[in-house]
Amino acid sequence: MGGDMTASAERLLRVEGLRTSFHTREGVLRAVDDLSFTVDQGRTLGIVGESGSGKSVAMLSLLGLIPMPPGRIEGGRALFGGRDLLRCTARELRRVRGREISMIFQDPMTALNPFMTIGAQLTEPLTVHEGIGRRAARGRAIAALEEVGIQDAEERLRSYPHEFSGGMRQRVMIAMALITRPRLLIADEPTTALDVTVQAQILELIRRLQGELGMAVVLITHDLGVVAAVCEDVVVMYAGRALESASAVGLFAQPRHPYTSALLASLPTLRGRGAELYTIPGMPPDLTEPRAGCPFAPRCEHAAEICGASPVLEETAPGHWTACVRVQRGELPVEALRVAGEDEGLRAP
Amino acid sequence: MDSRAEVGAIDARALLTQAEKGASLWSDAGRRLAKNRLAVAGVVVLACVFVFAAIGPFASPYSYDGQDRENRFAPPSGAHWFGTDNLGRDLLVRTMVGGRVSLMVGLAATAVSLVIGVLYGATAGFVGGRLDQAMMRVVDVLYTLPFTIFAIILVTYSGQSIVLVFVAIGAVEWLTMARIVRGQIMSLREKEFVDAAVVMGLSRRRILLRHLIPNALGPIIVFVTLTVPRVMLLEAFLSYLGLGVQAPMSSWGSLIREGTLAMEEYPWLLIFPSLALSLTLFSLNFLGDGLRDALDPRSSKD
Amino acid sequence: MHMTRYVVRQLASFIPVLFVIITLTFFLVRLAPGGPFSSEKALSAEALAQINAHYNLDAPLWRQYVDYLAGLARGDLGPSMKQPSRSVSEWIAYKFPASLELGLYGLLFALCVGLPAGILAAWRPNTWTDQLPMALAMAGICIPNFVLGPLLVYVFSLRLQWLPVAQWDGFAHKILPAVTLGAVYAAYIARLSRAALLDVLSQDFIRTARAKGLSEPRVVLRHALRGGLQPVVSFLGPAAAGIITGSFVVENIFRVPGLGTEFVKAAMNRDYTMILGTVLFFAVLIMLFNLAVDVVQAWLDPRLRHG
Ligand SMILES: Nc1ncnc2c1ncn2[C@@H]1O[C@H](COP(=O)(O)OP(=O)(O)O)[C@@H](O)[C@H]1O
Ligand SMILES: [Mg+2]
Repeated sequence: MGGDMTASAERLLRVEGLRTSFHTREGVLRAVDDLSFTVDQGRTLGIVGESGSGKSVAMLSLLGLIPMPPGRIEGGRALFGGRDLLRCTARELRRVRGREISMIFQDPMTALNPFMTIGAQLTEPLTVHEGIGRRAARGRAIAALEEVGIQDAEERLRSYPHEFSGGMRQRVMIAMALITRPRLLIADEPTTALDVTVQAQILELIRRLQGELGMAVVLITHDLGVVAAVCEDVVVMYAGRALESASAVGLFAQPRHPYTSALLASLPTLRGRGAELYTIPGMPPDLTEPRAGCPFAPRCEHAAEICGASPVLEETAPGHWTACVRVQRGELPVEALRVAGEDEGLRAP
Repeated sequence: MDSRAEVGAIDARALLTQAEKGASLWSDAGRRLAKNRLAVAGVVVLACVFVFAAIGPFASPYSYDGQDRENRFAPPSGAHWFGTDNLGRDLLVRTMVGGRVSLMVGLAATAVSLVIGVLYGATAGFVGGRLDQAMMRVVDVLYTLPFTIFAIILVTYSGQSIVLVFVAIGAVEWLTMARIVRGQIMSLREKEFVDAAVVMGLSRRRILLRHLIPNALGPIIVFVTLTVPRVMLLEAFLSYLGLGVQAPMSSWGSLIREGTLAMEEYPWLLIFPSLALSLTLFSLNFLGDGLRDALDPRSSKD
Repeated sequence: MHMTRYVVRQLASFIPVLFVIITLTFFLVRLAPGGPFSSEKALSAEALAQINAHYNLDAPLWRQYVDYLAGLARGDLGPSMKQPSRSVSEWIAYKFPASLELGLYGLLFALCVGLPAGILAAWRPNTWTDQLPMALAMAGICIPNFVLGPLLVYVFSLRLQWLPVAQWDGFAHKILPAVTLGAVYAAYIARLSRAALLDVLSQDFIRTARAKGLSEPRVVLRHALRGGLQPVVSFLGPAAAGIITGSFVVENIFRVPGLGTEFVKAAMNRDYTMILGTVLFFAVLIMLFNLAVDVVQAWLDPRLRHG
């Protein structure tokens, strides 16, 4: 990759210090606050966090899809293929969107245009980015539908979205996103709105296509189980920031941030059946309030005075980055973060 | 899943506090309205028009039907600011008195439609079910009736009494009001914060008083401010056709009609009443739009 | 097909509504004081009785009503009581074309001006390309057509002498009436399409379209416009009704020999049969237009096409 000096050869996307805020009547809401992460070529990065933690806003910021106003990107860089996406012109960004980076969304019921046929929507990226003719585009659209496991593809091109189930629509979304063979797919909670059985199928589909196409995937979710099933790398977000970043294996083997361990503790699968589930006390912070120090501190059972200082991500173990001052200083032994009674745990695949 | 259940609980609380903000919503709306220059200008102009119409005639040396044959079609001057008409009557005073009629018709007919519409719509919305369906079906049917045409018939046959003009116009306008009120009640009944309020054990009375009514009031107020100008327009339309207020009484519509007949040589006869009517309509519409923007919590303009 | 069934059902549902309209109008006009010939003082009592007998006005009210309905069932709207040279149907056929032409031009003007203005405004909300058309739309709503019409005549005919004064032949004569009639609807259409477009533009599938890398014009014209058109299309129903009643005034201002003028004249003269006939005609017209709007609506939105 051309201009990016600091990146290793396989680095596809490098986001540094991204800050996005919304200027609303209630005040300035800092939805993403100094977020950094990287995505390597051909890998799957999971971004986990409670709803409202800024996952979607971060991804939309990269593609210039934040509604402005009220949104505003206040700072940061997003290096992709030698460009800084945050400083691209609208025209340059349009050539990235849907061609090099595709995105699929949480709710397949509303993400497709109800007034257009599936075929028209499916072929649109091709006509826009590759300028190919209608017939060729149609052929590719049929192939794309077959690729995501939709039968009678040729007939289905004439259907409208309301004639499909939710799972089918998400398949269509995936076909549409991948029809241009992008290098990066951003999937924003692609299974949250679907039935449990369908969820697994969609995840499996994404994983299969990733292997076949060799693209990188950013998978956004609030479900650690999904991360465990699909992702190789993980970033844990909270209140617009990254609190922990590691390989999935590393993270599940040994969380190195109190928030991550609390999240793991609240997963029902980690505990024996019938045991009372753990809930994190308190509520996520109001993002319009000015803040200092660790955003999780008010809810953290390990918080101390030192947590009033703002933590930054630091490598606390090889390949494992943590934004907890107490862990960084060695005051808080990571073994203490293991959930008592957890033995078998949840293993990364 | 537990994390989701927790998030759900938080949402319910957030929604409730949002609804509890009812009172502050109004003061917020007031502040937003005060920042809307057009709406404020509308309020100021309206106040002036009210004073103009209500008090103005007392301050004038002329009366609305006092003829002065020596002074027919006098152009605007120090003695007659708006000039005089074909019978030498002072146009300023006639415009003021016409304003009384127009404003009165506007307010009274809107009040009529408000009462009918709110009662009808709220009943349908609250009772729901079959009755609601039947009542709304009636509204649908009435909607397809050419009401303006009925208003014309009614007014021509009523001996042009102003009271009947009110009734006719009120009867035209209540349908939309009923729909809006019903829609509000229905959607509010389904809103999550009502569920949340029920879950939190609030009494029905409290839900009604603190949540439903304050939240439904916004659209009704907006609709009223936008109905008044429409009604005034309809009255002016009828008077323009010669069907409304009869001479020597005046209303803005009848003055405009007289003005058009003579506009070639005596344009002021058209200009002043038209200005009065349009200015009032502008003010009411700006105020209505301003209120809507101020009361709509969704619109997130800075 | 589903749509045909729908159309047939709607047409059938017109009948009771029309019945209500006829009944209401019939008794409204007859129960009110005065009659078609009561103001003609020159008539002797004898002559009056003769005329009343001629027009069946001496029969009991219920009898008149039944006879009228019977006539309707045969497609007969009766003779005009005050202008007996033609029957009511003939009057309608004679006077309606001018009204229709005026209405169509007015509607055309409203669409051709209102839609582009609304799209332009929604393009960049809260900039001058939004505020200017919206200010004009506000003016269109607040300046009634009986003010606008004379104003246009004053400026364009009397002062500038660009366009001829009231008359009704040739295209040049029809511009000012059409603009006067359509202005308010252009204003409403502009406001409606702006609001609807902004609403559609905030929906998820627009984000999908943008995420595909489409240009902004393509997003608006191809993805948003169709949804944004829906409220405009449903507005055309009431707009048509409004254009019909609006033409009462515009025909009056511009001396258009149309049906609106006839109707107002008939109402003032208590021309019972003429009032009833025109009300019925207008009502059918409005209903048919509303039905057409429904069909267009279904064509625009695939979700409405099938049951
Ligand atoms: N258009 C917007 N206007 C104002 N606030 C927004 C907007 N979009 C998102 N936010 C706020 O930004 C924060 C992060 O939202 P989001 O990124 O959607 O969270 P999630 O992690 O669930 O995807 C939330 O507090 C949300 O309310
Ligand atoms: Mg999200």
